Amino acid sequence: MKPILVLCLGNDLLCDDAFGAAVASKIENQYAPDERVEILFAAVAGFNLLDLLTDRSSVIIIDSICTGKCTPGTLHFFRGSTLAPSRTLTGSHEIGLPTALALGNELGLNMPPEVDILAVEADDVYTISESMTPAVSAAVDEAVQEITKWVEHKRELLAHHVREGATANVV
Amino acid sequence: MRTVLIDPITRLEGHGKIHLFVNDDGSLANCYFQVPELRGFEKFCQGRPVEELPRITTRICGVCPDAHHMASAKAADAVYGVTIPSAARKLRELMYNAFFAGDHTTHFFALAGPDFVCGPDAPKAERNILGVIAKVGIDAGKQVIAQRARGQRVIEIIGGKKVHPVTALPGGMSKRITPEEQLEMIQIGRDMVEFAKFTIKVFEDIVLANQGYVDLILSDMYAHQTYNMGLVDENNRVSFYDGDVRVVGPDGREHARYRPENYLEYVAERVEPYSYLKYPYLKKVGWKGFVDGVDSGVYKATPLSRLNVADGMATPLAQQEYERYFETLTGDRTGRTMVHSTLATHWARVVEMVFACEATLQQAQDDEITSDRIHQPPTGIVGEGIGIVEAPRGTLTHHYKTDQNGIVTEANLIVGTTNNNAPITMSIKRAAEGLIQKGKEITDGTLNKIEMAFRAYDPCFGCATHSLPGEMPLEVTVHDAQTGEVIDRATRRL
Repeated sequence: MKPILVLCLGNDLLCDDAFGAAVASKIENQYAPDERVEILFAAVAGFNLLDLLTDRSSVIIIDSICTGKCTPGTLHFFRGSTLAPSRTLTGSHEIGLPTALALGNELGLNMPPEVDILAVEADDVYTISESMTPAVSAAVDEAVQEITKWVEHKRELLAHHVREGATANVV
Repeated sequence: MRTVLIDPITRLEGHGKIHLFVNDDGSLANCYFQVPELRGFEKFCQGRPVEELPRITTRICGVCPDAHHMASAKAADAVYGVTIPSAARKLRELMYNAFFAGDHTTHFFALAGPDFVCGPDAPKAERNILGVIAKVGIDAGKQVIAQRARGQRVIEIIGGKKVHPVTALPGGMSKRITPEEQLEMIQIGRDMVEFAKFTIKVFEDIVLANQGYVDLILSDMYAHQTYNMGLVDENNRVSFYDGDVRVVGPDGREHARYRPENYLEYVAERVEPYSYLKYPYLKKVGWKGFVDGVDSGVYKATPLSRLNVADGMATPLAQQEYERYFETLTGDRTGRTMVHSTLATHWARVVEMVFACEATLQQAQDDEITSDRIHQPPTGIVGEGIGIVEAPRGTLTHHYKTDQNGIVTEANLIVGTTNNNAPITMSIKRAAEGLIQKGKEITDGTLNKIEMAFRAYDPCFGCATHSLPGEMPLEVTVHDAQTGEVIDRATRRL
């Protein structure tokens, strides 16, 4: 399992929900394969998310969100722990990211200490369409830049940990 | 009015909704439910090469993309009139059984578990997946997750990609399996069977050992005498990937047994003015409204239905559990007497999960799966094809028509949950009738008991919409039957 995961969620056939897929394909083209970094697009929900998050050290999730509080295309950056999990479930479709994280932690699985989320404010996530609205589409490049910085930072941290670990062994 | 508002950041339009219409005297006038559907998908398929559909249709559902991949590939095989090589069929079946093993596991522990392991009257704070873990132990929780990972790994090996399978295409499969991969899958199969045994034990110790739970399963409030539908193999045993569609009446008599391509002779769809949901029913029996009985064309297509229409299971441990299930619930271990209690669906899911695990092991041990002959290139075109599989939630049908170049001109999909729209409505109504009374507030307990009827079906929430946080809570709204005015509303969050 590669320790650093860029997990792009959404549905590439559902207008602005395709943001994650667009970001994933752009980053994949930019990066040479790296044994520490995995870039994954997944149109999934439920427990499938938990399966993907287990045994990672750093995870950033790219997705769309509808807060209705700002203009479409705005990028939100926040911590996964700020989302409230729903524990009383009515269906297996209800297990979203916060619930998956809470569950993984409760089970003592090897979960990342924190999950970062970069979400674009979406305008339309209900129309079946392969193209995003212009404002959301325009935010892809900025998101890619942010993620690139994030990945670099996590790589450095990881390298630092490895060095520290090596020193400790020598001592 | 009690309104439980959720944090705006977690708010989505895609809630499941139950609407209850209440008379002045407090009695229930009517009720219906809504789930957000992915509408317009059939139109979206038009104009595309049919071989793209097995990949495109996985986007319909974020929980069971595998089921759509399979139904779509089978429909595309039929469009080209091609019979896929035996090894390809075996690979598809193996992948599909492994998927079922994981999906049913989740449902039983995360969704049925809170009601049966913690109890329907347990405090809300305990009646959830974490409460289940508290009761069965953290190790059990870890085993559940490990079981899911096993299913996912088989999908990755055969389906070619983590998460979304992409390898089934018209004529067979596109990726061969190495002997090393086969060995890995055999070990996975063995571990799955061990997990199945563990689940049987949990079910015995916690559910069956408690007469209160058995009574709950058998309670009238959750019983419906409808027709049942499911796929069966040549020996009338449960089959998920392929077979004939068998329909059995509430009296246990066979109503029909037909090849998937003839489904339109047997199934019609009803539209009600107040809902955009379609209500499929048995054409030859006719639509008589939301009522039980042998004269009503309403049918169920669920794990419970699949056991009802089958004469047995194809693997030994599952057969043993099938017999115990029927003996406990009907006194007749042959399975000829129908089980009508909606809540028994959870138990049926356990029996099916045992089968899926055993079948995964058996099929992984078949050396033919490493064969090179996994694709039969199509040479002609029929221009129409129907693919049916059992999705975990019910019979799934993909029906395509194409032009002579294989470009889709028409697509019709009946997803698992759609089959069950009428019985779900009936189950909610039955539960609500007993619980909604004049002057009585809708408590959390009331809500949970209504939800239990709904939850047994594990309805599909058109979850292709899964913007953050990707959760689809259920909202119950109570209306004045005369004015339609909202008098109470509750949304479940904890």
